Amino acid sequence: MIPIEYFLTFGAILFAIGAYGVLTKPNAIVVLMCIELMLNAANINFVAFAAYTSDPIGQVMVLMTISVAAAEVAVGIAVVLNSYKMKKTTDVNGLTSMRW
Amino acid sequence: MIVEYVWLVPLIPILCFVLVGFFGNHMHQGGGYLSIAGAAASFIISIAVSVEFWTSAAYTDPGYVTNSITWFSLGGHDVNLGYYVDSLACLVMLFASFISMLIFIYSLGYMGDQGGRKRRYFAEVSLFLTGMLGLAASSNMIEMFVFWELMGLCSYLLIGFWSFNHPEGDAKAINAASAAKKAFLVTRAGDVCLMGGMFVLFQAMGSLDYTVIFNTANLNAANPDTLFLASLLIFGGAIGKSAQFPLMDWLPDAMAGPTTVSALIHAATMVKAGVYLVARCFPLFVMNIDVMLFVGVIGGVTAFFAATMAMNNMNIKKVLAYSTLSQLGYMFLSLGAGGYLMALGMQSGDTALMAAGALGYTAGILHMANHAFFKGLLFLCSGSVIHSCGTEDMRLMGGLGKKMKITSITMLIGSLSIAGFPFFAGFWSKDLVLETALDAAGNGACGWIFLLLWFLGVVTAFMTAFYMFRLWYMTFAGEPRENAQKSHGESPHSMTIPLCVLSCFAFAFGFVLLFGFDGLFTIGLNADGLWQVGGVAGAGAVHYFLELFTNPYTYLTIILVLGAIFLAYLMYCKKTVDPGKFNKHGQAWLYKACASRWWLPEIYNQVSWKLGYGVAKCVDFFDRQVIDGTVNGLSNAVIGGGELARKAQDGNAHTYAGVVIGGAVALFAVALILFVVYGGI
Amino acid sequence: MEGSFLLPALVLVPLIGAIITLFMGGKRQKYAKYTAFVTTLVILAIAVVLLLADDLSAYDFSANWIDTAGVKMNLIFRVDGLSILMVFLTSVLVPLALVFSYKEGDRPNYFYTLLLAIEFGLLGVYTSADYFLFYIMWEVTLIPFYFLISWYGGPRRHYAAIKFLIYTHVASLVMLIGFFALGFEAAAINGAGVNFSFDYINSAVGGFGEVFQTLVFGLLFFGFAVKMPAVPFHTWLPDAHTEAPTAGSVLLAGVMLKMGSYGIIRICLENLPLGAVNWQNVMIFIGVLSMIYGAYACIAQRDLKKMVAYSSISHMGLVMVSMGCLSDIGIEFAIFQMFAHGLISAMLFMVCGWAGHSVGTREIPLLGGLAGKLPYFATFMMFAFMASLGLPGLIGFWGEFGIVYAFYEWMVANNVIYLLVLPLLSLLLTAGYYLWAMQRTLFGKLTDRIDLSKAHDMDRIEAIVLGALAFLVAIYGFWPDLALHYIDLYAIGFFGVI
Repeated sequence: MIPIEYFLTFGAILFAIGAYGVLTKPNAIVVLMCIELMLNAANINFVAFAAYTSDPIGQVMVLMTISVAAAEVAVGIAVVLNSYKMKKTTDVNGLTSMRW
Repeated sequence: MIVEYVWLVPLIPILCFVLVGFFGNHMHQGGGYLSIAGAAASFIISIAVSVEFWTSAAYTDPGYVTNSITWFSLGGHDVNLGYYVDSLACLVMLFASFISMLIFIYSLGYMGDQGGRKRRYFAEVSLFLTGMLGLAASSNMIEMFVFWELMGLCSYLLIGFWSFNHPEGDAKAINAASAAKKAFLVTRAGDVCLMGGMFVLFQAMGSLDYTVIFNTANLNAANPDTLFLASLLIFGGAIGKSAQFPLMDWLPDAMAGPTTVSALIHAATMVKAGVYLVARCFPLFVMNIDVMLFVGVIGGVTAFFAATMAMNNMNIKKVLAYSTLSQLGYMFLSLGAGGYLMALGMQSGDTALMAAGALGYTAGILHMANHAFFKGLLFLCSGSVIHSCGTEDMRLMGGLGKKMKITSITMLIGSLSIAGFPFFAGFWSKDLVLETALDAAGNGACGWIFLLLWFLGVVTAFMTAFYMFRLWYMTFAGEPRENAQKSHGESPHSMTIPLCVLSCFAFAFGFVLLFGFDGLFTIGLNADGLWQVGGVAGAGAVHYFLELFTNPYTYLTIILVLGAIFLAYLMYCKKTVDPGKFNKHGQAWLYKACASRWWLPEIYNQVSWKLGYGVAKCVDFFDRQVIDGTVNGLSNAVIGGGELARKAQDGNAHTYAGVVIGGAVALFAVALILFVVYGGI
Repeated sequence: MEGSFLLPALVLVPLIGAIITLFMGGKRQKYAKYTAFVTTLVILAIAVVLLLADDLSAYDFSANWIDTAGVKMNLIFRVDGLSILMVFLTSVLVPLALVFSYKEGDRPNYFYTLLLAIEFGLLGVYTSADYFLFYIMWEVTLIPFYFLISWYGGPRRHYAAIKFLIYTHVASLVMLIGFFALGFEAAAINGAGVNFSFDYINSAVGGFGEVFQTLVFGLLFFGFAVKMPAVPFHTWLPDAHTEAPTAGSVLLAGVMLKMGSYGIIRICLENLPLGAVNWQNVMIFIGVLSMIYGAYACIAQRDLKKMVAYSSISHMGLVMVSMGCLSDIGIEFAIFQMFAHGLISAMLFMVCGWAGHSVGTREIPLLGGLAGKLPYFATFMMFAFMASLGLPGLIGFWGEFGIVYAFYEWMVANNVIYLLVLPLLSLLLTAGYYLWAMQRTLFGKLTDRIDLSKAHDMDRIEAIVLGALAFLVAIYGFWPDLALHYIDLYAIGFFGVI
């Protein structure tokens, strides 16, 4: 059996890549994708712990997360599309009208 | 028993005040007749009360009639509202109501052309009279203080009578307003002292009723230091009200009021209140010899300095104002010297000294009464002159004797009286004052001070005679100058009749000394060892006649007075002696000092401006900048902090995400550190 | 629920009046003032009934309000020798202030609503005998007053209103902490649930420790001292006064400031005697400081109303000193001075506010010589100033006299007689700034720095209002026992009982 540390390390790396993308990529679509990466990092942890402890609740949570992520991507893409329609850009650095 | 109705004496004028104040415009002469009737009624009741009191058994024992009801209670001690009639109260009520009545009659003529202002005038003078009469009839010091301050208010209103809509223009109105304020404030300085004295006394005695605080047993039982403090503070009140050194400066300024008001203030009310207070508190003051010494020194110094100021003043009313100060100084000198002797006598048990002290008391009271008559007369005469000439400057008068016979003669009588010409009223009292001072000079450790004061008193007598006759000659003798030529002659009867009545008194009132005055107005310990005013037989006519005319110093003052009159005659009537030679034509240092009142007004202005307005400016600055600055600074700090903090909300999703992740990492780091430091779960 | 319903009625009538006038918009606006006036007259009638009563305790009222989770708050209304005068003062001043501002034309119904709401709060504060009720009523006075300033005030009204609200609200929050401390400590001592009624907490006074008393006294004292106001927490007052409409200033100076000193007597001194002893020197120091500082600040003011506001600070300093003496006579005359100052400051603010409206400015340097043109105004101004500077025979004198005497007794007991100079100095300064102000506004040359062509003297209604106040000032001044005999019911033996 593969030790759980491998899964956890893999999840952490995946999460870090996602976080890096969120913080650095200007394109809103890429940011959304990076968020998906971070979610999947969490999913891997859930699944790994579920298998490790033989507790199916972790898998239930993953299914839950995937459905929420799908909904979130739908909303996110809609927002990005609308902002592109109005401002002709998907650059998050340009979308700062909601400041102080 | 009409004495029981003595409260009517102050009550009637205040009713007149209310009636005239509200309905005066619908009355003849703006309510003047009602005011006169009120004063006359008070006078008649005063006579009835006095006669009944002096013929009653209470006069000889215990020497007073008093009755009171509880007003309210202060710290468990009752404060009463009542009346207290003794010889002193009777005298003050008599001369105050009588002279006020005459002044009111005179006002009908003097203020006759003032139209709608008459209502205000007659209402205010009635209230003024209430103040003095109530002061005399009060049975305790708090009640007296109420009337005392009431007079302060009335003096404020009346001195400032012309402080707006002045017939001669705005400059005079501004002047009157300033004088009124000064009068009230300077006397207020004395009044707060008096208030302090009342607190001290009330705390020590548990009452302010005259019967309690002047009771010998209570006085002896009290702490002497407390009594000393109380006496000094109470005398502070008298200094303010009677315009003694150093609070003397308001009285000359107070000439900005109508002349009748000056007469009222100087003769019948206000400044007499201070003398009355000292006479009333005589039993308290003699408990400490230094207090009486202080009273005497203040009196003597004021008498001298005020007389110097009168020497070269050109304003007819101001000369009279300084002479009032000077004469009040005589009264305080007399009371102080008498009290000094009395205190010495009480210490050593020497009844002869106490009798000599009582004579000082009598002299002070007699001078107060005499002064009321001749100063009332002099002011009313000067009012008549001003009414006729339309100026107060004596350099513009002259030669009025021919045009204004009655005024000139009555004023001559008044001048002779105040100068102390033999057998006129002022002579008797003034010589008694000087005799008491000299008497005090020969006794006790501080006698030499009284010798000095006696000397000042004698010099003052010379100066008084000089400046009064300077005034008389400049006004009534010689060639008519500018305004005197335009004079429209003698004043109406409503003005001259009071002059004639007063001149009779100014001449003859001194003779009462020979007919039992000293018995009525002496002070001493009676058979029960209690203080009593009057109630003993007088020494009789022969005694005082002999006493005065066997005293070589009496002749000294008579010679000085005659010399001064003669000098004034040479300078201002014959013009054979040029006054300019003595004062280097107004350039001499002394002349300038006198003319500028020894720089007292400047000192007052500087002190009050610096201590009042200067400090106020600092406080205001502190208030605006420091306190309000702190408050506003705090609020600005909150607002500014918010301004700063909201800059974090820059709208960039990257920043927000960075903060979230950074925060998560920081939390994790902290948790890790704690985990390491505290060693596991 | 038990007892007489007179006191709840007294408190509720203004609330009902306020609600009625609130809905009198549009065409009915012109009737709002009559409605409000009738309401206040009813309140005055009730107050007079109370004043004439033989036994004030007959009017006690109590009812359960909130009794849950071990915490009990009650609706208790009560009047005694201390509060009866304040109730009377409130119910006299509100109708007079209301009539005096009968010309108010800008949304008059809301104006009267706010005045009645303030009266509701004030009467509630002075009659409630439960800490929670007291606190709520205390806050009730703040909100309408905030709107009164910010809707009907002068040019800097928003600044003044928010300053007033925040300042006093912060103070009352501190005070609320003190109330909770009292409530929970009393519950711990009595060994029962938390009950906020005055009696319940007062019954635990014996058990309060000295440290607890000192700390809680500090909290409550801060809360009340801001309201009084005492230097250095006073700067909201001049701003609030200068910007508030005349009726607002009258109520603010006349009765709202007294809430502070009322609270100190009613809550601090009654319940925390040991704390009071520890804070005594502070109270006296702050009081004397307020007296002299306020008087000096008055001299430097240019605005009449601001000057009078500072004079209020100075006179409330006297009250503070008097309470700080911790003697029966001190309490007695503190209450008397509260009453006296209520009447006099009402006159002062009416006169000065009137000057602002009818002459056009309250700047002293711009005025001058008004006595000839506006005789009624001049008379009332002089009367009010004289009453305030303590002219004997008017009510203000007895307050000052008694207080300085109480202070002197304290000085003798503590061997510091020389301090007598300070109150006497403040009396002298008081005379100084009033006389100087009168000299510059009423006397001398008629001013040409402002346009006086439209200025006209007080009309009959305004003169009657001021005359009524002047009558009260004079009658209580002539016979102070009219007020003192109520106060004696409360104050005599105050420190003996504790």
